[in-house]
Amino acid sequence: MPEGQRQVHNRLAVLRAERGLSRRQLADKLGINFQTIGYIERGDYNPSLELALTIAEFFRLPVEAIFSLKPMTPLSQEIFGEPPRESR
Amino acid sequence: MNTTNCSGVEYLPRSRRRLLVVAALVGYPVAFAALAGLKHTGLNRWLILLLFLLLLAPILAVLTVAYRYAHGRIDGRRVRLDERDLALRQQAFALSHRVLAAILIAATAITEVYLTSGYTMRFDANTFLPAMMWVVLYLPALPSLMLAWIETDQPADA
Repeated sequence: MPEGQRQVHNRLAVLRAERGLSRRQLADKLGINFQTIGYIERGDYNPSLELALTIAEFFRLPVEAIFSLKPMTPLSQEIFGEPPRESR
Repeated sequence: MNTTNCSGVEYLPRSRRRLLVVAALVGYPVAFAALAGLKHTGLNRWLILLLFLLLLAPILAVLTVAYRYAHGRIDGRRVRLDERDLALRQQAFALSHRVLAAILIAATAITEVYLTSGYTMRFDANTFLPAMMWVVLYLPALPSLMLAWIETDQPADA
């Protein structure tokens, strides 16, 4: 990622795994190179607004559910709140 | 869209790619310095030529690797580039310009220092050849070399 650029965190790997898609399959559906998916997942490349919206459209989710400037919390934690305390 | 193949060259780790880029950039002047040195040894001309070609061969191999690594992503031929490829290409061209500027400034400065030190420079086919070869070999290859330099390690298809 170029210097001075803020990292955009994302849930792409989780969403892709949920749908049982390989990087290559997802890339083919989005019309990009499969390496680009890997770079986005790894946080090495920030997608353009157009690509981010295309990804959001593909997963039928709001773009902020996939991309964020803050580190992503697990989806389960967002849905159910704080993780349950470990039983002693 | 699949624009790149999965040959080993494209999965070279960045550390190794950077080593190859340095070898390509440093190897050329070293090969010509060696040639100049060998000319003064009194060795057979054909042996000198053979040794020079042996030094030049790995450099040419590295340049070929850089071209294969870029895989048409610099000239945009034969492949469709996505937004990351286009951004990388832009960065590679920008870095090539900086490297080229640095090399030209250094070469001009060295020549100036050499000439102002009282030495003279004979400008003939022999002295022009290394510069001409550098332009022919490196000017087109520089963006590919810079692409190999800047790109982070490629993720595997999962």
